[in-house]
Amino acid sequence: MKPKRFHGLKRPKLRQSWNKYNLFNLAHMRSPKIGRGDNETFFQQKWRAKGMLRAYHGEHVVERKWERMFRRRLLAVAEMNPKYMAAFDGSELAAGRGSGRQIPPRWEMDNRSRMRVTPYMQMAFAPMERRLDIAVFRAMFASSARQARQFCVHGAVKVNGKKMPFPGYRLNPGDMFQVDPERVMFATGAKKDPSAMRPRRQPAAALPSNDTDAPAEDAAEAEAAAENAEEAAEAKPADAEQDPDTTDAPEPVRADMKPTRQQIQDIVKKAKQIIAEEDLSGGQKQSLRKFIKEVKPLLTRAGRPSASPTEITDELARMLGELKIGRDTSAEEESKKEAESDDPLDDLTSAQLEQLEARMQEHIRNEQENPYDPTKPYATPWRPRPFMAPFATIPRYLEVNQNICAAVYLRHPVARRGDAEVPTPFPYEVNQLAYNWYLRRR
Amino acid sequence: MPPSIPNAASSAVSAVTHCTWSSIAASTNRSIITSQCHRIAGFSTTASRPRFTKSRRKFRLWINGAGSVFKKHKPDGPNYLKPMTGAASPGLHPFPINPFYRSHPVLDEKARETVWRKVMQEGEPIKAVSAEFGIDINRVAAIVRLKEVEKDWEIKGKKLARPYARAMLSMLPTSSLGAQYQNKPYEAINEVHVHPYTMQQIYWPTSESRHFTREDAAKAFHKDMLSADKRVPHPELIQMEKNLLNGMSPHDAAAEFKKAVMESEQEAAEKQVAKAEREEKYLTRVKSKRFEFRFKQYNSENVGPQGKNRKTVGWRYGAPYYDRQKDHQIKIPTSVP
Repeated sequence: MKPKRFHGLKRPKLRQSWNKYNLFNLAHMRSPKIGRGDNETFFQQKWRAKGMLRAYHGEHVVERKWERMFRRRLLAVAEMNPKYMAAFDGSELAAGRGSGRQIPPRWEMDNRSRMRVTPYMQMAFAPMERRLDIAVFRAMFASSARQARQFCVHGAVKVNGKKMPFPGYRLNPGDMFQVDPERVMFATGAKKDPSAMRPRRQPAAALPSNDTDAPAEDAAEAEAAAENAEEAAEAKPADAEQDPDTTDAPEPVRADMKPTRQQIQDIVKKAKQIIAEEDLSGGQKQSLRKFIKEVKPLLTRAGRPSASPTEITDELARMLGELKIGRDTSAEEESKKEAESDDPLDDLTSAQLEQLEARMQEHIRNEQENPYDPTKPYATPWRPRPFMAPFATIPRYLEVNQNICAAVYLRHPVARRGDAEVPTPFPYEVNQLAYNWYLRRR
Repeated sequence: MPPSIPNAASSAVSAVTHCTWSSIAASTNRSIITSQCHRIAGFSTTASRPRFTKSRRKFRLWINGAGSVFKKHKPDGPNYLKPMTGAASPGLHPFPINPFYRSHPVLDEKARETVWRKVMQEGEPIKAVSAEFGIDINRVAAIVRLKEVEKDWEIKGKKLARPYARAMLSMLPTSSLGAQYQNKPYEAINEVHVHPYTMQQIYWPTSESRHFTREDAAKAFHKDMLSADKRVPHPELIQMEKNLLNGMSPHDAAAEFKKAVMESEQEAAEKQVAKAEREEKYLTRVKSKRFEFRFKQYNSENVGPQGKNRKTVGWRYGAPYYDRQKDHQIKIPTSVP
């Protein structure tokens, strides 16, 4: 269960989250001078340090589970310079001992920078980074570790192309995990305007019939509905396709034809309504009636268990193509001619035109990639949520491709000189004390 | 200490509002209302409760003042909190009091595309690409793998999270590659793991005149330990440097290096295939309508010296069986093939 004051201000605890309260706490965090004075016993120091760290590192993981995950061995790497290794075989380090070539150690001059040490202690919580939910958070696919956990539980996370509903799955080096992009956009996107979240009222079914070009509009609507039906029918088999990273054959998914049938029925209903309410010419009415007649067998075919969605949509598209009841095109042509006659673009040079075109292309591309879409659960066009940038960091043990919301866990996090890969907001001493706390049983 | 008296105006207002409220709500006789008013309007020694607590007030001040720069992201690179302690390079430490965690740059879209092109279209070995750009071998492989999925999505017409990717890459420090010119290495590629055998301090008496190399040092740590020259991910790189030191022309050395990495990659691939074939040999697959049953040959006598080997099948006397323990009730897989 989530603690009551998750982002408290009075007794602040740092959390794995991009919350603005967390940002405030992080910005105002001073080094907790644990163990500097003699007012605390060693036990008390360790206890306090471990408490601070556990509030950040996987606070949703029960202590017992973490104790089982903890490893006293801390991983590190040393850089090997191939140039040096080619020139020397290592014997020069042992040569000349006692023969005058030895350089006496000068301890008093040993003012090595603090940044030159290998910060092993910062790796105390490295095993936690192996957890799937934490890795999803580190790859910046979720706004908090708890949300990442929810994504796993809700089945939005795949590991090597297979659904992985366990947030406690421990990634192995080379594992690829991917999160449903819609969830990622929701988690990282700005919140929707609450007024826009209210369900909008549906327009009344019956339309006023005094509009002259209403039939054309209605026919266009019917076509749009048919397109939707096509999309719905095609979306199903696309989901079942082979994931490129699995060896398993895709499970055959039977296409659910119910929505398609419903949409065909809607089209028929609309056509009937148009015949009844609009003043159409005889020919238009005839073609509409013919269309209704032709669609009926299609509907029964869609109801059969052996129905193929692509065939049905193809048929439907062909029928709609044959149906020509739009208003006369002569008026449109006239208006087009008018627009061409006083074109403001005539005055521009070719270079300017090119520039304009490039900008238009860019704009259109943006519009296509990031459209306004009120059906989405986040603000559209998508934009990052506020107070996100200061948390943006991707540790080196992950390789992330943001376009497909997938990442590869390359290896376990390691420490190297002056650099530890575990993202922890706490200083060295606190981590050291916490590490010592967990050494207790081992 | 004299009692603190709340200012006259506010108490008067509160009394008036209280009177009106009670008169509307109760609308009883006048005497009750006046008595209530008297009781409320009396002197109070406590200060009126502030709207926000001190910590809330401080938070609001910060978030609307100094912290407001973090609210909207400016697309010109990372925007981290100011570090407290003296950091090596300011601006790349997301945690103010941890100087040991640095936000390393990620490869941008163009760099990933370049890597993918080199491996998949120009057919260069992964190790050669890794050495050329200074990118870890595993990372090169991962970039190609992810890029392949991306291309696959594009072909299938699946929608990519482009706006998200653009925003993310503008928030993160990025690093780019030029395919034509000399690049600064992206990361250290020839890192060797600190092996636990090498973490011990040992007393190893040896003669002064002895030529004690890395090879000997490895043997001193453990008889099976390999020397660092063999444990690095790019032993071919060391050979190339040796060739250069021996006076080989850079062009020839590079060609030889490429040949060597090609061979080593070929070898690794063959090894993998052989392993898969060997496993297949001991596996019998039986396809049913719903499942594919896989039978593996197994020697039940193979139980280890104590007879308690963890990898044995079935229940063994004296060997603990953790299946019913609380932690083991949900079987979380340990690997996904």
